[in-house]
Amino acid sequence: MIHYFKIMTKIFSNINWKVQALGDHAIQFYLPQKMDATIISEIKCFNDFIFSQQLKEIKDIIPSYHTLTLIYDIELMDAPIDFANDLIEKFTSERKNIITSTAVNEIIEVPVCYDENFGIDLISMSTKLNLSITEIIKIHTENVYQVYCLGFMPGFAYMGDVNTKIQTARHAQPRKNVCAGSVGIAGAQTGIYPMHSPGGWQIIGRTPLKIFDKDPAILSKFNMGDAVKFYPITRAEFDSLNENEL
Amino acid sequence: MDTLQDKGRYGFQHIGIPPCGYMDYLSAQLANVIVGNPKEAPIFELHFPASSFIFNEAHTICISGANFVPVLNDKSIALNTPIQVSKNDTLHFMQPLLGKTSYLAIKGNIDSIAWLNSKSDFSSHIKTNDQFNLFERDVENKINSTKTKEQENKQCNINEIQKHIFNSNEIRFIPGPQWNDLKNESISNILKQPFNTSLNSNRMGYTLKGPSLQLIEQKSYLSSAVTRGTMQLLPNGEVIVLMANHQTIGGYANIGQIILVDLPKLVQHKSDTPFRFSITNAETAQSEYKQMQKCFS
Repeated sequence: MIHYFKIMTKIFSNINWKVQALGDHAIQFYLPQKMDATIISEIKCFNDFIFSQQLKEIKDIIPSYHTLTLIYDIELMDAPIDFANDLIEKFTSERKNIITSTAVNEIIEVPVCYDENFGIDLISMSTKLNLSITEIIKIHTENVYQVYCLGFMPGFAYMGDVNTKIQTARHAQPRKNVCAGSVGIAGAQTGIYPMHSPGGWQIIGRTPLKIFDKDPAILSKFNMGDAVKFYPITRAEFDSLNENEL
Repeated sequence: MDTLQDKGRYGFQHIGIPPCGYMDYLSAQLANVIVGNPKEAPIFELHFPASSFIFNEAHTICISGANFVPVLNDKSIALNTPIQVSKNDTLHFMQPLLGKTSYLAIKGNIDSIAWLNSKSDFSSHIKTNDQFNLFERDVENKINSTKTKEQENKQCNINEIQKHIFNSNEIRFIPGPQWNDLKNESISNILKQPFNTSLNSNRMGYTLKGPSLQLIEQKSYLSSAVTRGTMQLLPNGEVIVLMANHQTIGGYANIGQIILVDLPKLVQHKSDTPFRFSITNAETAQSEYKQMQKCFS
């Protein structure tokens, strides 16, 4: 069953891209600093536009919450700020068409086992938030989350926004090892650890899905701009679906 | 830890994959060019105590970058010079005399699996992770020196590159997006006080020892892209300079960017003599970078 989810997109005539040089081999486009679905949608449009240009000077295009950064080859780039301003101008004149074509996103559904052996912070969160574990799970699976950006490690997607009722700050002291597939909360954000790693997020469950695959045809399960919804599964279902080695 | 590195893995930072690649690209390119390889060929990057090598067949090799006193069988050998090795020769590194990162180029192709268009090792980014062994490899990699056509050693000004990397205690940077969020006193400290590298330095980043820096007000920033050379100000007042295996985005204050042409100086910096920071601009940085690259063409 495929659900479609309409990301809130509006064509703002007043969206005003700014650009700054980031040292000698990067330029950064930026919008007002906030976590916001309309801003991320605008960044995705600009990202896809620049990607479609297949520019030989550009080595990497890195989107984040309110910025889009280009890493360029010094030897191929002569006037980076002029180059950037040209891109903004060209994008602005073509933006209308691009937004229409990306306004609908498929929801990626992610099974999560909220067993207390996996959701190792559920009990303490339940006490702190004054909510039952069942309520925490219900609230976490209600929202459709937006992937704001990826980073921290390959395939780690920062998603939001988490309902304020279950927002919990990171641990002051990160754990030395968080298991692959662990689903966590950090303030307004939720995310999944693609591989075993140190980490400070509040762990509430684990997905059996492989989030990052080194196979170049697969790589990251999520991309910036994706819509994601979690649904609960039992421990038995987890075991039968598990793609991660324990 | 010793690894195989090339110019790095670009085009995948948007999904969080660090670029990796050699740290001191100038020394790596130099060693490659001296043996007649393309300047961006894969090369062994060594840290002290470095691996020993036993050669299965005759090769032409070159060692550049840090001087770890290389010894072939029992005789010490020169840096930045093509050296002929024979079957069963052994190469050891005796002591870290100068610099921190040494490069061993071997003429021909090093047989190793590329992942996402790069042979740069990825394992140092990985903590305790069994699933993510991208390469089943270590420094005892099988080395196939394909007998490529004898290439003339490209002219390069070895002295100029050496002097640039090892004989300077000035490192230049371009102020970053959060430069103006620094207290005036901190700005003046960056420009006037000496800095040093700390032991807490690796392929992800170099932590600096120096005056404690402060922002005008404690702010939190939404994460955005960082790159090699980015100077992040940690909440404890320390600066960390991001290196090849850096995370792709970061939420600490980005106070500046060490220019690419000066980054090898920091890579090779040993804590015995402090260095100083100075400000430059993108035009100077880019023109000096290009100028230096002319040594390799």
